[in-house]
Amino acid sequence: MASSATLRREARRLGSLTSSWTVQTLTRPCQSPLPSPWLQQTEEVPSFGVRAISTQIVRNRMKSIKSIQKITKAMKMVASSKLRAIQTKAENSRGLWQPFTALLGDVPGIDVKKNVFVTVTSDKGLCGGINSTSVKISKALFKMASSPEKEARYVVLGEKGKALLQRDSKKHISLSITETQKNPLNFTQVSMIVDEILKNVEYDAIRVCFNKFQSIVSFMPTMSTVLSPEVVEKESEMGGKLGELDSYEIEGAETKGEVLQNLTEFHFVCALFNACLENACSEQGARMSAMDSSSRNAGEMLDKLTLSYNRSRQASITTELIEIISGASALQAKA
Amino acid sequence: MNLNLRVVTPNRVVWDSEVQEIILATNNGQMGVLPNHTALVTALDIGVMKIRLNAQWSTMALMGGFATIDNNEITLLVNNAERGIDIDLQEAQESFRLAAADRARAEGKRQAIEADVALKRARTRLEAADALLFR
Repeated sequence: MASSATLRREARRLGSLTSSWTVQTLTRPCQSPLPSPWLQQTEEVPSFGVRAISTQIVRNRMKSIKSIQKITKAMKMVASSKLRAIQTKAENSRGLWQPFTALLGDVPGIDVKKNVFVTVTSDKGLCGGINSTSVKISKALFKMASSPEKEARYVVLGEKGKALLQRDSKKHISLSITETQKNPLNFTQVSMIVDEILKNVEYDAIRVCFNKFQSIVSFMPTMSTVLSPEVVEKESEMGGKLGELDSYEIEGAETKGEVLQNLTEFHFVCALFNACLENACSEQGARMSAMDSSSRNAGEMLDKLTLSYNRSRQASITTELIEIISGASALQAKA
Repeated sequence: MNLNLRVVTPNRVVWDSEVQEIILATNNGQMGVLPNHTALVTALDIGVMKIRLNAQWSTMALMGGFATIDNNEITLLVNNAERGIDIDLQEAQESFRLAAADRARAEGKRQAIEADVALKRARTRLEAADALLFR
């Protein structure tokens, strides 16, 4: 407490040489180890006591910003290494759903009674805007798909999506699955997830909404459609891409319906597997760029604070010198 | 005339080249595919696929999936696939023995079914590794 009393005396002497910027810094809520009565006094007398105290406060602020910068830099490195690992897996899994699209065609415009929207999001945050874009398009598509005769429901994968959707669509969520990324994604895990979904949800068409990974800086919100076996049969009778399905002989089980059911379930698993991997890639990529920009912002803030810190430090040294010299010359003049 | 065979698993593409003939194990038994086969979609069982390439037969263990045949393009989507030459014979025999032991002491219907599937997988791998064993 003695040191703070000395600081107080000093501060009152230094008086009106404060910069408005430093005052703003202090009146903004900032991390400071000083006890609150001390801070309150600072606010009551803004023109006094700011100069000397500001160096300490600014120094503490700089320390915390530096550590935040280190953390975000480290997070960026971690995200980029994770991205490299998942990227190869995602590209290999793209070959999985292509045969299905070749066979059954991708019909996003299909009009069915029961739509289920599977929204793939991440569990962790700090990954830029990808989760909110996923949820935004799911919500928009949901609105388009809901009407008196049609019904739509959500299945959410990932904590972030669950949090975002629970706020206003809680009653439409059939199932939410979280903590999928504790172990690296593999096909068996996704097949079990699909098992759960198929047990609990009835559907005519499933639309998987995710962020497709195009490059490290570009993620495209995408929707892939999986039809139920009944709809596939109906559509194949009507012609079009699915109509070609009839030209294939179907073997492998007693009835065509059984094979179609297996086929559509397998289609769903492949589509969801690819969607999860792509979304994971996009998550890591978005996190990389978010952490990169926050490191840069922290660096800029650090530069500004360093400048003002040095200025205030030099000013206090100068005023002290002036006092000493004027005091000394006053004594001399007397003598 | 050749067939373009593509074997795709969730993790990678296992085979992507031309062959002369393949023999698949489907749910309804084995079927052979020659060039100009009719268009077909079929479910595949856990079993061995034989591939004829330049008058040589080689094997591949497939763990169930689907096959589409269209205009001499064959696409196999399977849960897992291993080429016979990539399978270590000792290791396959060991896992087959373990699977048989598991099957013997399985209790309850669910365990029995799971053990059956595991045994089938081990047997397929062993058969692919050494085709002479199960002739």
